Amino acid sequence: MQHARAGVRAHAVHVLAGHRARPLPALVLVLALVAGGFAVWAGQDWYRAAHDDRAAYAVQRDEALAAGEQAVQNLNTLDHQDLNRGLDLWESSTTGELREQLVSGRADFAEQVKKAKTVTSARVLSGAVTELDDRAGRARVLIALRVTVKASGGAKTEKDSRMLGELTRAGGQWRLSALGQAPVGGAPAG
Amino acid sequence: MTPMLTRLLRGDGAPEAGTGEDSGTGEVSGVGANAEGGTGTDIRTGTGIGTEPDTGTRRPPGGRLRRAAAAGVAAALLLGGGGFFYGAHELRSAEPVRNRALTDTEATTRVAGDVDNALARIFSYTPDGTAAAERSARTVLDGRAARQYRDLFGQVRDDLTEQGVTLSTRAVRTGVIELDGDRARLLVFLDQTSRRGKGDATTAAAQLSVTARFDDDRWRIVDIKAR
Repeated sequence: MQHARAGVRAHAVHVLAGHRARPLPALVLVLALVAGGFAVWAGQDWYRAAHDDRAAYAVQRDEALAAGEQAVQNLNTLDHQDLNRGLDLWESSTTGELREQLVSGRADFAEQVKKAKTVTSARVLSGAVTELDDRAGRARVLIALRVTVKASGGAKTEKDSRMLGELTRAGGQWRLSALGQAPVGGAPAG
Repeated sequence: MTPMLTRLLRGDGAPEAGTGEDSGTGEVSGVGANAEGGTGTDIRTGTGIGTEPDTGTRRPPGGRLRRAAAAGVAAALLLGGGGFFYGAHELRSAEPVRNRALTDTEATTRVAGDVDNALARIFSYTPDGTAAAERSARTVLDGRAARQYRDLFGQVRDDLTEQGVTLSTRAVRTGVIELDGDRARLLVFLDQTSRRGKGDATTAAAQLSVTARFDDDRWRIVDIKAR
């Protein structure tokens, strides 16, 4: 009798326990599933963002511009008292045909600057990338530049110039492969 | 994740199977089976079922542990997901990525074209007057650029007409420096050809930094700085 009552009570408790215990795990389960789903979605989203082609392209664009501005400034900076360092910098900022020209004309040019005793410095006012071929590693930039030339007598002249540069990527580095003034009054282009 | 969840399911299933047998001993053995995977607390629970069924004995002890583990996993997943979510947001809002210059070819061409046109129209006039240029300016300029333009033309309008000056402006090269949402910064190289009366035309170069804002389905210039 006692035993049976205890059994019934225990059974009732268990049924109760079964009923009361189930909703909680279900809730936890759902929560875990939702959390898992969220984690998977967020992970994929992150992966997409991290492997976005446009992001890599944007980084190349910014690197090309920074390198282009620096290189154009370098090539418009030269102190007759520190020619070798200046001209070394010119060569390290350039590549391809432009570099070949600079190397082959270096001696003559150094002679001229030594005679003229000029100190040239430049400041980039603004720059923009107009074309970028990420795969080929080629870019074109516009640079607005203010060049200051100090003659041997100490007289300073300032000149604004607008440059068109072409950059080529070599060994992960963007370097100038062509540089010229944007023509004034010429045929329309780009 | 899946094995954890299935184990949770099985853990819940086991005591119910015990209930199905509908006897006191079956009961105990059911709890005992649970206890194998559980901890020391189940001993207290086991006696509880026999004597004091009402308090704290309702949950199968292993279940509590599993629930705690599941909650832990859920929390970890939420945290991990949140980490990825934040990481993705950081990547997308990084400076180079926000700037759509060149990465969005269509938008880049659009803003460059609109700005080129605007500059050509507002800086081109004939001796007959500057009315057309000023009318254009009202539609393509805004903000500081509009004020500067009004001030400038207020000063030179009469002289220009008197001296019979013709000016034509053309954008030679345009580069989009930054394009972020409805704002853009550009560098524009201009050629300005002017002629005074019957004199010879002279062409001058100008470099402008232009700030533009996309408004009402068109790009308007809000700031111009000569470089």
